[in-house]
Amino acid sequence: MRLTHVFALRFSLLASVVLACWSVFFYFTLMDEVNDEMDDSLEDYAEHIIRRSLAGEPLPAQPGGTNNQYYLRPVSAAYAENRPHIRYEDREVYIRLKKEREPARVLTYIFQRDDGRFMEIEVSTPTIDKEDLRHAIFFWIVFLYGALLLTVVGINLWVVRRNMRPLRALLSWLDRYQPGTKETPPDSRTRIWEFRRLNEAMKQFAARNEELFEQQKTFIGNASHEMQTPLAVCQNRIEMLLEDEKLTEAQMAELVKTLHTLERLSRMNRSLLLLCRIENKQFAETEAVDFNALAESLLADFRNAFAHKHIAVEAEERATLRLEMNRELAATLLSNLLKNAFVHNVSGGRIRLTLTATALRVANTGTPGPLDAEHIFDRFYHSPGKASSTGLGLALAQAICKRYGLRLDYSYEEGLHVFTVRRVNKS
Amino acid sequence: MKILVIEDDADMREIIARSLRKERYVVETAETYRAARAKAMGYEYDCLLLDIMLPDGNGLDLLAELQRAGRRTNVIILSARDAIEDKVKGLDLGADDYLAKPFHLAELHARLKSVLRRRRGGERLLRCGNVTADPEHFRVEVEGRPLELGRKEYDILVYFLNRPGRLVEKQTLAEAVWGDHIDQADNFDFIYAQMKNLRKRLKDAGATIEIKTAYGFGYKLAEL
Repeated sequence: MRLTHVFALRFSLLASVVLACWSVFFYFTLMDEVNDEMDDSLEDYAEHIIRRSLAGEPLPAQPGGTNNQYYLRPVSAAYAENRPHIRYEDREVYIRLKKEREPARVLTYIFQRDDGRFMEIEVSTPTIDKEDLRHAIFFWIVFLYGALLLTVVGINLWVVRRNMRPLRALLSWLDRYQPGTKETPPDSRTRIWEFRRLNEAMKQFAARNEELFEQQKTFIGNASHEMQTPLAVCQNRIEMLLEDEKLTEAQMAELVKTLHTLERLSRMNRSLLLLCRIENKQFAETEAVDFNALAESLLADFRNAFAHKHIAVEAEERATLRLEMNRELAATLLSNLLKNAFVHNVSGGRIRLTLTATALRVANTGTPGPLDAEHIFDRFYHSPGKASSTGLGLALAQAICKRYGLRLDYSYEEGLHVFTVRRVNKS
Repeated sequence: MKILVIEDDADMREIIARSLRKERYVVETAETYRAARAKAMGYEYDCLLLDIMLPDGNGLDLLAELQRAGRRTNVIILSARDAIEDKVKGLDLGADDYLAKPFHLAELHARLKSVLRRRRGGERLLRCGNVTADPEHFRVEVEGRPLELGRKEYDILVYFLNRPGRLVEKQTLAEAVWGDHIDQADNFDFIYAQMKNLRKRLKDAGATIEIKTAYGFGYKLAEL
């Protein structure tokens, strides 16, 4: 969720609560004020009639023009006993002038005349329709809420967007960033202190990262390089020992096993060195490598070497795939992918190689279930139980693809492990 | 045959020297650029085995210096750096071959032999018993009669003719003939199939050599 979206959502939720409280408060205050005014005028009206009635003056006729009206009637002492002498109510009243019932404010007094008789006077004045008022208030509150929200959110989004530009630039840089590319964060001249700090921090982070990456690369390169000579010494000493006529066959077998282990180690070392050299952008000379021809010769060798596994190999050549790259690296790439397909295959399995004008696809049977696509191209990622693999083959393939702007993807489709090398269109 | 081994690592130097002496070469060693320069300029050698990275200089500079001084010595570069650039540079500077560490001693001997054979001139044929191979024209003859071989069979035979009498381990053979990418094969029956055909053809042609199975893990070329 984006910051602006979170902001808009939270704002609208909070605003709706505040506006709801405010509208309730507004309604009650308004009603209070209206009742107060009405009651005052009703009291005046009632007092005027009572005074007249007590003084024996003629009572006013029902007023014309206003809808105020009154009833004056005698009541029994018991009736007066049981009721409060002043009552305010809201109820519907029949308006004689209009000949219909309307909501009204009603004031009722019970008073005693000089002769001891109890009288009840009821004065009423039509009031506002509270239901209507509530509806109106509700409607306008909702309208206000909507309008307010749209304006506030709109303005905010615009302001935030404008001011977040340095942040967006930084984020898009982070998306693209890959260690080792020596790309520095965008230099956005912003007056906002936080963003300036962030940019500074990013720059330092990138520089530090580059430095570490460089150090790591140099270290791996140096370490594998320094190991070559001792490895050669060990291997050669064993070879010399193997020429000794006095050795028994069992001893020789042991030595040969040791030699194999050493060879594995030196292969691993060579692969690491190769990785370093690819990452250091060596292998400058390129040519248009015909992958179809390359695949043919490699497949013949692998078929030969893995004949005991009885793997059915189908090669489907839809077009000729030519890629501009170093021949040695092209061979390493393709042979690593094919070797992978053979080595990790099951007896009686299948391999399908597909070549098109822009892509190369190697699909093979193997252990069921998809592999960990996240880590499969990592160095020394091993599938369990394969002692002879260096764990560098796919890392190498990946590095070669990266070097030439190709994409290497893994997927698991219909029980097949699929590796695809694709030419990425440079626009 | 006199060989100068220029190598800064003492162990490596000792092993190469010992292995060469076993083959009855006369071996001199140098461990620094200065020592190597003094020896190479002052004496005649049939071949230099030259390590590129020396503590006090670069082996390639020595090559250039020798070239400037007009000394025509055979040189095989031994380098821990398996970089094409180095290889090309070295060969441009007049080196005869380039061997990346770690290497098999058998490989070193084969390369050395081939360099020395070229130095003697003319004789480019590989010969063992009554079998001769002409690597330039991909031809094999037994007692003067041509022998038809498959491509891998031919590669295997030539590999062994370069290393007569040496034990060649199956995996090494596979990588040499089929390529480095065969390194993870877990079964070497495919070599056996080729080997069977090759042996049969040699025998049928009346060759006086045989590729023998040695101890179940390798092969050896022997004269009958």
